Amino acid sequence: MLVGLGRADDAGVYRVSDTLALIQTVDFFTPIVDDPYWFGQIAAANALSDVYAMGGIPKTALNLVAFPGKSMDLGVLRQIIQGGIDKLREAGVVLIGGHSVEDSEIKYGLAVTGYVHPGKIRTKGGLHAGDRLVLTKPLGTGIVNTAIKAGLADPRTVDQVTRLMAALNRAAADVMSGYRVHACTDITGFGFIGHLAEMVARTEIGVRIDAGRVPILPEALTFAAMGLIPAGAYKNRAFREEMVRIAPGVDRAVADVLYDPQTSGGLLIGVHPSDAEALAAALADNGVDAAAIVGEVVAQPRGQIDIV
Amino acid sequence: MKEIDARGLSCPAPVLQTKAAIEREGVESLLVVVDNAAAQQNVQRFMESKGYMTTLAQEGPDYRITGRAAAPGAKTPVSAPAPVREAPRSEHQKIVILCATDRLGYGDDALGQKLMINFIKTLKEMGPDLWQLVFVNNGVKLAIDGSPVLDDLKAYEKEGLTILVCGTCLDHFDLLDRKQVGTTTNMLDIVTAMQLADKTITI
Repeated sequence: MLVGLGRADDAGVYRVSDTLALIQTVDFFTPIVDDPYWFGQIAAANALSDVYAMGGIPKTALNLVAFPGKSMDLGVLRQIIQGGIDKLREAGVVLIGGHSVEDSEIKYGLAVTGYVHPGKIRTKGGLHAGDRLVLTKPLGTGIVNTAIKAGLADPRTVDQVTRLMAALNRAAADVMSGYRVHACTDITGFGFIGHLAEMVARTEIGVRIDAGRVPILPEALTFAAMGLIPAGAYKNRAFREEMVRIAPGVDRAVADVLYDPQTSGGLLIGVHPSDAEALAAALADNGVDAAAIVGEVVAQPRGQIDIV
Repeated sequence: MKEIDARGLSCPAPVLQTKAAIEREGVESLLVVVDNAAAQQNVQRFMESKGYMTTLAQEGPDYRITGRAAAPGAKTPVSAPAPVREAPRSEHQKIVILCATDRLGYGDDALGQKLMINFIKTLKEMGPDLWQLVFVNNGVKLAIDGSPVLDDLKAYEKEGLTILVCGTCLDHFDLLDRKQVGTTTNMLDIVTAMQLADKTITI
């Protein structure tokens, strides 16, 4: 076993031979959008993301389904699963089975297995002082989803955030494999700062984030200022606040977004400083439009996240 | 003072109740009681984004948030980028104009366009009774770049007139990126505005 429960990472990794390791991960959740087909796509993109974040290539997947089949039209379930299948097909992954149970609440997700060369595993550890940090998707999906739940988002925003959550991290993972990447994770429920904290906690390094360069959905700032912030963002802040120092000039709404829990968020990549610009440019060239260098790894103060 | 008991509710419900009280009833002071820290901070943020001064008191598991509308001309306590909708001004009528076309009347289109420009420019004569201007269907073309009345609409908006532009319509004409004035809106907002208005004029 190369990566297991001992160090909480995105997925488990098991070495089969000197050239092959298996990556295994599972993720499922309750609907975050009203449209069942898009919910299926988002759940699949989210489950696959952990394999991409480890530097691997997903190969096979199993469906996990909980559905109120006695009270709800099975057509809804078919659309969810179709969304999942179409997303898997886009990723070049084969669905080889699954399991469903009767439940009062819909839940859908997948168990995904992928390959990686044992020497090319990207974990959350491994950042060096001087490394640059690159983020590949804009933040703010949790706040915008709260606004959608409140009926305050316009149709264009709903559409934009749905597509963002359904977008695979595949292109980003493909591109990063060509550069000196020291660490990688994907941004999900703990928010940008929560995942950064996992990368720097109990290490010899800290990070400095340039808040002005972090890609953020503009609507998320508007909704954050209106108090449409999910409870999870406050929990994330309470949990990690002690590691974080936010400069007085940073807008409060921006700080809120940095703690916002993300659904199927982007990759956060720690890359050798001389490769950073080239990686960001290559990401943009390959359709990862939001990719930006958002900060750097520093030697001091260690274990701390500075937001300037 | 209006009181809202939002205990037992999770986000975003307490914010929505506060929003309704401020925007639909136009209350100047209100007390909102919630029982979790996330709702407390969200309600406070919302009130501040609407220009209310807030105070917080904690009683056992309950948070009591009091908000008072800032005196006219007072500085908004936080620099919130949220669109601030005018609270209804009780001393005036509330007139909503629903504008579903970019030209006035039928017959000659060139004349219709000229008349519409004149109509928009003359609207200011309604003074503070004009409460909201809503653009739907072809009307949204008046709110985009190149519109002959864009400057006039921007000036109205600056003076406090609420301008709503139908998002579905912008999307239909593929004009979402070209909207230059007003807040993109949905049918619920439009219907709510009509219900609250003293008078709705359809163009």
